[in-house]
Amino acid sequence: MKPSTRGEIVPTEGPPKGKCAIAIVGGGVMGLGIAYQLAKRGITDVVVLERGYLAQGASGRNGGGVRMQWATEQNVRLMQQSIALCASFAQEIGVNVWFRQGGYLFLAKHERERVTMERNVELQNRCGVPTRMMTPEEAGSLVPELDVSKIVCACYNPKDGVLFPWPFLWGYAHQALKRGVEVHLFTEVKAIARTGAGFTLTTSKGDVHAERVINAAGAWSPEIARMLGVTLPNKPHRHEILSTEPLKPFLTPMVSVLSSGLYFSQSMRGEIVTGITVEDHAEGIQLGSRLKFLQTLAREMVSLVPRFADLKILRQWAGPYDVSPDGHPILGEPPGVPGFYLACGFVGHGFMMAPIIAQVYAEWLAGGAKHEIFDRCRLARFAEGKLEKESMILG
Amino acid sequence: MARSDDRRIHEVPHGDKLTLRFEGEDIPACAGESVAVALFASGERVLSRSIKYHRPRGFFCLAGHCGACLMRIDGKPNVRACKTPAKEGLRVERQNAFPTGAFDVLGAADFFFPKGMDHHTMMTSPRALNAVLNKVVRQLGGLGKLPDRQETPAELPRPRHKHVDVVVVGGGPAGLGCATETARGGKRTLLVDEQDRVGGSLLAHPAHGVRAANEALAAALKAGVEVLSSSTALAWYPEDVASAGRDPGLLAVHTPDGLLKVTAERYVYATGAYDQNAVFVDNDRPGVLPARAVGRLLVRFGVKPAERPVVVGDGPYARALAEALAKTGAEVTRIDGRDEQIVAASGHGWVRSVETSKRKKIKCDLVAVAALPAPASELPRQHGVPVAFADGKGGFFCRVDDEGKSAAHHVFACGDVTGFGGIDDAVSAGARSGRAVVASFTGNGMGKVHI
Amino acid sequence: MSTKAMICRCEDVTLADVQHTISLGYKSIEEVKRYTGLGTGPCEGKECMVHAGRLCALAHGGDESVVQPFTSRPPVQPAPLAIFARPDDGADE
Repeated sequence: MKPSTRGEIVPTEGPPKGKCAIAIVGGGVMGLGIAYQLAKRGITDVVVLERGYLAQGASGRNGGGVRMQWATEQNVRLMQQSIALCASFAQEIGVNVWFRQGGYLFLAKHERERVTMERNVELQNRCGVPTRMMTPEEAGSLVPELDVSKIVCACYNPKDGVLFPWPFLWGYAHQALKRGVEVHLFTEVKAIARTGAGFTLTTSKGDVHAERVINAAGAWSPEIARMLGVTLPNKPHRHEILSTEPLKPFLTPMVSVLSSGLYFSQSMRGEIVTGITVEDHAEGIQLGSRLKFLQTLAREMVSLVPRFADLKILRQWAGPYDVSPDGHPILGEPPGVPGFYLACGFVGHGFMMAPIIAQVYAEWLAGGAKHEIFDRCRLARFAEGKLEKESMILG
Repeated sequence: MARSDDRRIHEVPHGDKLTLRFEGEDIPACAGESVAVALFASGERVLSRSIKYHRPRGFFCLAGHCGACLMRIDGKPNVRACKTPAKEGLRVERQNAFPTGAFDVLGAADFFFPKGMDHHTMMTSPRALNAVLNKVVRQLGGLGKLPDRQETPAELPRPRHKHVDVVVVGGGPAGLGCATETARGGKRTLLVDEQDRVGGSLLAHPAHGVRAANEALAAALKAGVEVLSSSTALAWYPEDVASAGRDPGLLAVHTPDGLLKVTAERYVYATGAYDQNAVFVDNDRPGVLPARAVGRLLVRFGVKPAERPVVVGDGPYARALAEALAKTGAEVTRIDGRDEQIVAASGHGWVRSVETSKRKKIKCDLVAVAALPAPASELPRQHGVPVAFADGKGGFFCRVDDEGKSAAHHVFACGDVTGFGGIDDAVSAGARSGRAVVASFTGNGMGKVHI
Repeated sequence: MSTKAMICRCEDVTLADVQHTISLGYKSIEEVKRYTGLGTGPCEGKECMVHAGRLCALAHGGDESVVQPFTSRPPVQPAPLAIFARPDDGADE
C-alpha cells in the first residue's frame, strides 16, 4: 500500500494535557476549523474536546450546500468569503472536498413571494453576487425535469454550490494535529468552572485547565454554556434529510423551494440529497427519522419533479439545527464571562460559514483585528432587542 | 454474443417460456424465474460494472440483499435483477459501462490502483489538476441513469393501514413456524415476506427445497395466517401514528400495492441472515457466490450451476450442497475453509480458477463459499432490540431469551436473526416463539411459558 | 494485476482501504463507514458491515464487545418516492 501522505497522525490518545491556552468544546467543523486557523497563526497550545466520533454532530449530517444567496448583507458578504475559501480548501488542507459550483436555483410557487425574491436578488447584486431572476421557462432550461407550471418565478446564482462535508473535518483535524494541537474524540466535557483567570474543564478523560474556552458545541452549546451560568437563547431543531440511489450526473444546481423549505441536489456520488421543513413537536435534541418527513418530502418532490417518482430512497437520517431567534449566530464573549467565547447559533448554515468564521475568530484570538461580526452577533443583542432577521432558511 | 446451451435441468418442471429483451437481443426465460436467473441460464455472466473501478459484476446472493446485480430494467435504474420476475418483453440493460458491459475502458482505474484508493488525498494540488479530478469524478459518479420519462405517469398508490394481533416479518422456516402457532392460538396474524416466493432459506437447501416451503406455507395458510409476499418491511417508525387515535409506532411495509402501515399488539422479527463472502483477492469476481445462492439456483430454479464447482466450507450445508451438485453430474472440488483457505480467485468476466493456501491452481467455473451468514438485525435494532457482535454467530445477532422475547416492548425475534443456527433450529425456535407470543396475551402479559 | 480483496462490493472498498482507515486511528464501524464509504451503497451494509466489524475487533485486540453496528436507517431496502407521495386518509383497513 502506498504510504499515506498523512503519515501516522491520528486523533490524540490518552487523557488531555493538564493545561492549555485554549480549550475548544466541540469537534465539529467550527471547533476544528478554529483550531486549524489558530495553529496556522502559531497558537498550538490548544485542546479540542469532542464527545463522539468525528462527524457525529451536525457537521456529519448536513447536505453540503454552500450559498451566497441570503436576505441580509452580513450573510451575503460572509458567504462570499467562505465560498472563496472552500474553492481553495483542497490545495490548502490537502483533502478533496468535491466542491462543485453548479449554483443554487430558488423557486417561488406563489406570486406573493416575487417581491421578496427580487429584493433579495437586488441586495445580493449590490454586494457583487451575480444572482439573476429567472422566468419559469428559464428555470426549466436549467433543470429540464421540473414541472415549471408549478412555479411563478425563480432566481439563480451560478457561483453557489455543494461540497462533501466530512473531509473538512478530517482535513482540519489532521492539519491541527500535525502542528501540535490535541484533538480528543470520545471525550465529554461534564463541567466547566472558573478558576482564577482561566477555566477548569472536567472531562470524561481527566481535567484540563485553559486560559480561554471556545464553545463550538452546536446544538449542545446551551448545555455547555449553562455549565458557566450562561443562558443561551438558541434551541435545537431536528431537520431530516435523505439520500437516494446513485445516478449518473444530470442535475446541475441545488434546487430549493422557499415556501416549503424543500431543497435537493446531486452529490459527487450521484445521489440526490434532499430535505424539507416538517413541523416537529419533539423536545430537546431528537435525531430519529419519521415517516411523516418521507411523506411530506415525497409529495412536494413528485409534484415538482414528476420524473423523480421512481427514484429510490436509500436512507434517511437527521441532524440538529442550532437555531438562534433571529437566524444569526451568537459570537464573542457573553457579558460577565470574559475568556469564554461563543461560536454557535448558526441554524442551517454553520457548515458553510465555518471556513470564514474560523478564520476571523482565530485572527481576533491571536491578537489581530476584531471583525465587526463579533459585535453585531453578540449575545447581548437579544436583551437589547436590536434584531434583523435572516429569512432565507432552508430545510 | 455466444449463447451457451440452456443450463436448465430438464427433469425439473419450469414455468411457461417467455422472452426477455436484453440490450436488443431476445433471451429465453421461464415464468417464475428472476431476470438474473434467466440471464444466467442463457450464459449471460457480466450484469454490470462496479462504481469505482468498473470491475465486472455478476449476481451474488440472488436474494435481493447485496448490490451486485443492479441493472436498468424497464427504463428504471439500479433495479435488482434477482428480485425482478421475468416477464414477456421486459427490457433489460447493463449500466455504468463504457462502451459495453463486456468491455469497459474505465476498468483502467482498477489497474492503476491495485490495492485500493484513498480518494480523499489524491491530486489535491495544484488547483487546475484538482479541478480536472473533480470534473472527472463527477462524470464517473453514479450507477444508473435517471428513470425514463413516462408517457402517462403511473397513478400514485394510496397508503393503507392494517392493525393485527401479531405481525411476523420473514417467511422462512422460523417465521412460518411462529406465525402458524400464533394463528392456531387464535391471534389475527399477518406474515410479510420480501421474496416473491415464501420459504426463505428452505428454498436454498437441497434437503428441503420447494416442497418443504410449500408445506410450511400451506400449514400457515390453513391456520389462518394472512401472508403477504413480495412485501418488504422497510422500517420501524417509533414516532409516527398509523391512523388517528392510535399510539405512535408503526412498521412500514412496501407491498406491490404501495405502502402498508402495520401496527400490531406483538411484533416478531424472523428476518434470517444475509449471505456473506469470504475475504480473499478478487473475491468479487463474477462466479464467486455464497453457497446458498448456488443452492437457490439449483433447488428453487432448477438450473445447473456449474460443471466444475468449488465448494468452500465443511459444515452441514456445504456438504449437502456439494452432494447435490455432484448429482447434477458436476465435478466438485471441496475446500474445507479451515485448514485450507482460498487465497485468490482468477478470471475476467467469470471465475476460471482459484488459488488456495495448499493448492496453486484449481480450475473451476464457479465457487460456492459457505461463509457464516450474518443475522439480518437492522429492523429489530430500529425497534429497540438489543444486539451484540459475535463472529461465531455471524455478526450482530438479536439478544433474546430462549422463547424469543426481547427487552423491547412487545417485540420478539427468532431464527437465524438471533444467531445463525440453520433450518432445524429455526423451525423449533419459531414454534417456541409463537407459543410464547400467544401466552404473552394472557395474565400479566409477558410472563413465562411452560412447555 | 489487481490485488484487491473486496470488502464492500457496492462502493468498491477493499481490505487495504479498511486497514488503512484503521491505521489512521478510525477504529469503529461508524468511522470506517464515513472515511471509506463502506456500507453507504445500495445494500446498506448487508454484505460488508460484519467484515468491517471483524477488522475493528482485531484493532481492539480481539475484543468483540466494543464493536457497535452503524445506526440502522430507514428504509432497510431501497424504496421509491412514489409510495410515499400520496397523502393518506388515515383510515384503517
